[in-house]
Amino acid sequence: MTGPGPQGPYPGPGPHPGTGPHPGVPPYPGPWPYPGPGPHPGSGPHPGSGPYPPAAPHGGPPWAPGPYPSAPQPGAPWPPGPYPPPGPYARPGPHPGGEPEEPRQRLHPLSPALHGAKSLVVVIAGLSWSTLSRVGFGWFAAMVVVLALGATVLSVISWYNTGYHVVGRELRVYEGLLWRRTRAIPLERLQAVEVVRPLLAQLTGLAELRLEVVGGGKTEAPLAYLSVADAAALRARLLALAGRAGQPGGAVAPAGAAGGPEAVPTGQEAARTAMPAGRPLHAVRNEDLLVSQLLTPQAFLLPFGVAFVVVQFLSEDSWSFIAVASTLTAMAGVVLQPVRRVLDDWNFRLARDESTLRVRNGLLETRAQTVPLHRVQTVRATWPLLWRMKGWLRLRLEVAGYSVGESDERNRPDRLLPVGDLPTAEMIVGEVLPGVALAALPLTPPPPRARWLHPLGRGALGAGLHERVVAVRSGLLTRQLTVVPYARIQSVRVVQGPVQRRLGLATVHVDTAGGAGAAAEDRDLAEAWALAAELTARTHTARRTA
Amino acid sequence: MRWQPISRDLIWVELLRLGAGVAFVVVGVAIGWALSGHWLFGLGLAVVLLLTALRAISIVRAVRAWGYAEREDDLLVRHGLLVRRLSIVPYARMQFVDVSAGPLERAFDLATVQLHTAAAASDARVPGLRPAEASRLRDRLTALGEDRAEGL
Repeated sequence: MTGPGPQGPYPGPGPHPGTGPHPGVPPYPGPWPYPGPGPHPGSGPHPGSGPYPPAAPHGGPPWAPGPYPSAPQPGAPWPPGPYPPPGPYARPGPHPGGEPEEPRQRLHPLSPALHGAKSLVVVIAGLSWSTLSRVGFGWFAAMVVVLALGATVLSVISWYNTGYHVVGRELRVYEGLLWRRTRAIPLERLQAVEVVRPLLAQLTGLAELRLEVVGGGKTEAPLAYLSVADAAALRARLLALAGRAGQPGGAVAPAGAAGGPEAVPTGQEAARTAMPAGRPLHAVRNEDLLVSQLLTPQAFLLPFGVAFVVVQFLSEDSWSFIAVASTLTAMAGVVLQPVRRVLDDWNFRLARDESTLRVRNGLLETRAQTVPLHRVQTVRATWPLLWRMKGWLRLRLEVAGYSVGESDERNRPDRLLPVGDLPTAEMIVGEVLPGVALAALPLTPPPPRARWLHPLGRGALGAGLHERVVAVRSGLLTRQLTVVPYARIQSVRVVQGPVQRRLGLATVHVDTAGGAGAAAEDRDLAEAWALAAELTARTHTARRTA
Repeated sequence: MRWQPISRDLIWVELLRLGAGVAFVVVGVAIGWALSGHWLFGLGLAVVLLLTALRAISIVRAVRAWGYAEREDDLLVRHGLLVRRLSIVPYARMQFVDVSAGPLERAFDLATVQLHTAAAASDARVPGLRPAEASRLRDRLTALGEDRAEGL
């Protein structure tokens, strides 16, 4: 055991004496060195951050409307010259934004048309089947057209007011007509960049650029839409800036976020079928993907659902076309999930260059995701019950910056392998976390008395410490193996419920940024304390040696 | 390692909070009893008062069980009686520190310090601190956090 956390500091099996060892008044001898809330280094606003606008102001815009000159702006309280770098990122040296501010750029002129077309779908869905049956087709079509036109006009206006440019190490995005928003996205915090091309965008040769930032509740600043070449160039530029920014900070892994501008191709991106740049790692066979999605509960239930609807339709006269259509629409959400997965993961290609993973997938909507390897927080392998006959598993990863509750889970760059066998998975895991082998992780089951809590699934539980990662296994039917590198652990918790206390067990939680983390369930209490102490110690050393 | 207890005054804060909620229910039930005279309302009143008494006892014990310890590299917070929790948060992973004090807490001269990491599940909250102690803890945490910041 290393570090300052041996068994000693832990309170042992009875950590919560009702009457603490410090009875009565807290034994604070007199005034503390810091009496009262004076000025504190670090806790207040940073001195250098004054002249900058806040990151996401909702209130009054400091920006004058209209096209921006690159010369001194009226009302803007700072000169365009070499101003001090922004507070939290302050470091000595010449500021990269010393040269005159680059002009704001607009999105592609076709974007409002695409937004309008997209809103058409929303409008139709919003009006719903029942409206169609009530007002008749003609009126329905008229309503749709009016609403879609309105949406298009709005998106033209918002396109006119939307712009972006790179200032120093920030990407600034301006948007909104009534409620102007200026978002400054510090590129140090960039977690991942992806280029998404929905079907319509593919037809028009456009792409959407999404940035994932730590601490953002949702995908920040989707720039929709840019031409493909612009999107690729901007991505390369942002990643290069993020990589350069990451180095002097010292907090981020020294490898930086990206190799540099030359690591990202700009020309080939235009070709849809091109392999992602870098060394190709794996390509999933589309047949395997199809079979794997047929081996899901939804696919098995689909015939029953359809049969139910058909029988209802044939047996009862009261079931009109509208009713059947509504039922089908309602069912589609659940039943079509495998279909969506097939469409999403079609042509799945995985590649890596020096320090990033590149994922490219999708049939109707292609997306190219770039995930810096040192931003991977968790790798999770799942063996669904029906896949076991094929020996298949699925690999997912978690990156900080994607909120757990994001409604559209397709937007999360979490796919590492939609379907594959164990050797493939081992190869990929070996690339993401060198030295880690899924099959060779030292997992131990909880003590036999944990069967009172898990009568069947005790054997499926397991936890263990590897040289670089902590691994946790769970799930009787759908087996899951979660791997968290020590360097990514944010905090460790030991939780003991009433039944667990009776049995002398405890659960050790490992929290990571973004995602659920891992939980070693129902370990022996002494082991749980030791595990927590060991995890904390290794968390401390992991970063220093890295 | 020394476990620091939190101020016993937090017991009063929590009891007052409980009392306010219970008073609301009790008044409602009492009005119902007075109007209808049904014995079930009396039973309900008795149950509410019994539960309140139990809860009051558990508040007293829970506040006594709450403790925190500052170690060289991490902050330890323990709390809970039925479900016992111990959180270990390395200073290096700290993102920011919150110090808050509600009106009731302020009346008893107390404050709450909460440590936030990049993980939403991290749970390091220390209530019932004297303001001086709270700001000392905050200063120490921010100083240590800046010293060793490793972020994500």
